Amino acid sequence: MVLDLTMSMAILAFMGALATIAGCLEDLESDVGSQSNPNSQVQLAPQMNFLHRIYNKAISGEPISNGLSAVIGGIVTTVMLNAKFFPLTAIVLGAFVAAIIYGIFATTSYAGRVASQSRFKQPLYMDIMRYTTPSIIAHNFIVCLCLVALAYIQSQILVPAHPFSIPFLALIWGISVGAIGSSVGDVHYGAEREFQNREFGCGLNTALSGRIVRRAESGLRNSIDNVWFCAKYGGPVTGIALGLTVFLSSWPTTVFGYTWIAIGVGVAIVLVMVILNRLLEINVKNAYGPYKEEKNEKEAAA
Amino acid sequence: MVVLDPTTLINVLLIAISGTLVCIAVHFIPVGGAPAAMAQATGIGTGTVELAAGSGLVGLITASAMYAIPSVQADPNAMALVLAAGAMGSMIMLASTMLAGSLVYAYGVGVPFASAQVKKDPITGARQDLYMSKGTQGQGLPTVCFVSGIIGAALGGIGGALIYFVLVKIYATSALIGGSAAAVAGVFTMGVFYVNAVVPSYGVGGTIEGFHDPKFSRVIPKYALTSFVVSALCGILAILIGGGLI
Repeated sequence: MVLDLTMSMAILAFMGALATIAGCLEDLESDVGSQSNPNSQVQLAPQMNFLHRIYNKAISGEPISNGLSAVIGGIVTTVMLNAKFFPLTAIVLGAFVAAIIYGIFATTSYAGRVASQSRFKQPLYMDIMRYTTPSIIAHNFIVCLCLVALAYIQSQILVPAHPFSIPFLALIWGISVGAIGSSVGDVHYGAEREFQNREFGCGLNTALSGRIVRRAESGLRNSIDNVWFCAKYGGPVTGIALGLTVFLSSWPTTVFGYTWIAIGVGVAIVLVMVILNRLLEINVKNAYGPYKEEKNEKEAAA
Repeated sequence: MVVLDPTTLINVLLIAISGTLVCIAVHFIPVGGAPAAMAQATGIGTGTVELAAGSGLVGLITASAMYAIPSVQADPNAMALVLAAGAMGSMIMLASTMLAGSLVYAYGVGVPFASAQVKKDPITGARQDLYMSKGTQGQGLPTVCFVSGIIGAALGGIGGALIYFVLVKIYATSALIGGSAAAVAGVFTMGVFYVNAVVPSYGVGGTIEGFHDPKFSRVIPKYALTSFVVSALCGILAILIGGGLI
């Protein structure tokens, strides 16, 4: 297949959209299942006598568990494609198998983690397991679907095709989506949602570790309440990060060819991001102000 | 049979240098681990290995795509272009991640960015200590951390791309795995990348702010040497795989 620039850009935009959805849903999946660094607080809470109804899976670090899931999806898809399945059917079946296996990991991980906390009297709520696990599987299904589709496009549709196979590309994107989700969206869950009873922007004292919020807007808080909150900001921002990564890492070479000009454009994009971060830093410091007053100013005032 | 000629030795040396670059890169990337995920430490709220590998592997995707182009392979300066492509992909991934992370710190958590290691940002000169909230080790990603992360991503991308560049050329001529040289080289690159992301994690100990952190200069020589030795061993193994064991 020969693609002109317009078609290449259209496919690239579609890849960016797929990545955005994958990034968003990956973060929300890690919130509904409570994984990665913020889960340390969920794990610690029973030791501080804060018993809770939050799902506690943390199969492994997010990149590894998502990489595992995506590579399983990629392998099943490749097998199906070799058996002459229609590509979309193969991708859906691959993602479905991966999500089911992920669900098994989530269940055993939740049961195992809570069982290890029996000395702190943390109960294993069967209703939580029953209605949160399908949500984890559903989120992971969409993540896998998007990532395997992304790998399929890179490997089979794009011209020139990427030299890596579908499972390997899916593995790399799975690891990347986990790394981004863990770096971006989890902060919204860990630093804001888990400690929402503290003043906004107060800066969390380390002495608060483990003292997570356990009451919801109505009744006792569970992981579905958490994902509802994080879907408003943390998830979409994570999606934007992965979408930008996929789009901007391919856009220079698609438009300018595989040349030094493309590399220069890529570096320029990075410099723009450095400037944007600086502007954001200035804006935030002006908006919120310092936590402490400068000593000299105090003395002068005195 | 693998012959120990100068080319083979140079290839092993290049892989060892690549691994060392990845190790040094990890020290540049500002990670704060679990405390940063609670906005209790400066840096990105994830682990060293996870982020370094995540960004380096995006660099591997861009570098391998670059090397797959016939005109690039024919170019005598192909190596520089492939390494630059690796650096570019890795930098874009980390810059996007850090910018999005900053958005969450700024508007999702509501904390100003502050480094705990310096009183003033060495790049912008902005005061840091006033913006550090009580009982924390800083929060968010000040400019110095952002720039340090970009440097780290570039080094990591170059390191990963160099391993791939060396191995794919060796494997392409192999009778055993020549048909899938890109795949085997890619998998082995990922392996070497992970090894060299794990080695410095012991020195980093969960949190590091970047090149301005005193920990940076304290731990880097020891772990860079370790990575060099470990990567050289990985290189020998990688070349043995290409040539067969008999």
